Amino acid sequence: MSTRTYIKTLLIVALTALSIGGLILHIKIHPFMKYSYGFVPYVSCLLSIALIPCLLSFRKTLDYGYVLNGMLVIIGTITMTHFSIIHWPKTISLEAVLMDTTLADVTILWAKFFIGKAIFDLEIYGYRTDQLKSGISWRYPHLGWWMIHLVVISIVYGLGSLAWR
Amino acid sequence: MNKFRLFKTGWWILHVVAIIFFFWLGHAVQL
Repeated sequence: MSTRTYIKTLLIVALTALSIGGLILHIKIHPFMKYSYGFVPYVSCLLSIALIPCLLSFRKTLDYGYVLNGMLVIIGTITMTHFSIIHWPKTISLEAVLMDTTLADVTILWAKFFIGKAIFDLEIYGYRTDQLKSGISWRYPHLGWWMIHLVVISIVYGLGSLAWR
Repeated sequence: MNKFRLFKTGWWILHVVAIIFFFWLGHAVQL
């Protein structure tokens, strides 16, 4: 096995392990099918476990895996942040923000994003040490593109939440 | 239809579907 395949396999295993952990956490925290949106975290977790590792494994489907992984992270970030805003701790302190919000869950979720990005970048930019990063930061597949999508999706979600009750 | 037009059409369809989905999600997730 080449170092390239070995590192890629390790990263895909890390991503799958994180997703399995996320699925178990979701099962523990809130029951399935209790609400109309209840399927979203479970479908997201199942896609992360079964589909995304397969998509990221092949060069032809790498982009689809990368985008789907990032979009699922954005969905998780927005919905869990929404939950924290609604159930905001009564007393604001560093401890309350760290312990009584979904900050920890969102942080773990972003680890999943960066593992996906590492798999993508290693495949696209290669393992050469002299390779310099290039391209406009707000264009696909760079981080600016993700930030724009995070902001725009948050706005659309917020409008859906506030305007359509 | 050439490849670029197919990509552009797909891009628009994807974004419209995504906007509808996220707008619905914001409505559906009432915590």
